[in-house]
Amino acid sequence: ARPNAAQFKQLVVTALRELHGEVGAALPVDVLTYEEKTLSAILRVISSGLVKLWSALTLLGFYQNRRCAFRVLQTSPFLLALSGNSRELVLD
Amino acid sequence: HAALSRRYVLCEVVSEDSRCRQCIEDRTLGLAVRDAIARVHGDYGLACCSISFTVKYLNAYTGTVLLRCRKDSYRLLCSALPFVRYLETRAQRYPCFLNTLHVGGTIRTCQKFLIQYNRTQLLRLLQNCTNEEERQCIQKSLLSCSLTEEQSQSGDEEEDDGTE
Repeated sequence: ARPNAAQFKQLVVTALRELHGEVGAALPVDVLTYEEKTLSAILRVISSGLVKLWSALTLLGFYQNRRCAFRVLQTSPFLLALSGNSRELVLD
Repeated sequence: HAALSRRYVLCEVVSEDSRCRQCIEDRTLGLAVRDAIARVHGDYGLACCSISFTVKYLNAYTGTVLLRCRKDSYRLLCSALPFVRYLETRAQRYPCFLNTLHVGGTIRTCQKFLIQYNRTQLLRLLQNCTNEEERQCIQKSLLSCSLTEEQSQSGDEEEDDGTE
């Protein structure tokens, strides 16, 4: 079963709690958008917490006893920058 | 090359139960502190603090504990100490808390602080005596304190702590 938005947030918080404990789980992380079809989301975190969040997502291996992996496509201090992915940019 | 720096955290175990202090040993205390670090700071914090972590000194009579850790992770350790809420030995759980007294870079500075602290604590105990019997007892132990010079290490002094 694919996670809905609340379960996705719970997954992120669980990852933080496993790697960084209660202090990590208390880090304010917001799920700005979430698409259940593609299982992709935009997360927002304070910049001092980026290392904790990214490392926690990297080391999360299981969701409901099934293997999973987080792939970070893009990070930016500006939300507008996430609308276009410069990795997929094609120069004519 | 960078020197291996350590931090020594001096704390005391405070408990309402008088049996709690008797059951303090280095292993139970070490496990309790590491468990608290794992809860508060997770796998990363536990691994970070465990690198050079030991219980260096323990005094069951006064409840004084000296912990050692790396300088890079002493903040993780100190912030997790308030989350130690009980000590567990032989299937018995005693509620208690740890009071951080001093953080030093060497055992010697912690020892100096502890001697000074014990002096003030003895005087305060004397002031708070409720009956004459306690007062006599404390005065006797204060007067029987002596400084002994160890033959093996010259200049190393240890104050004899007469309280229980």
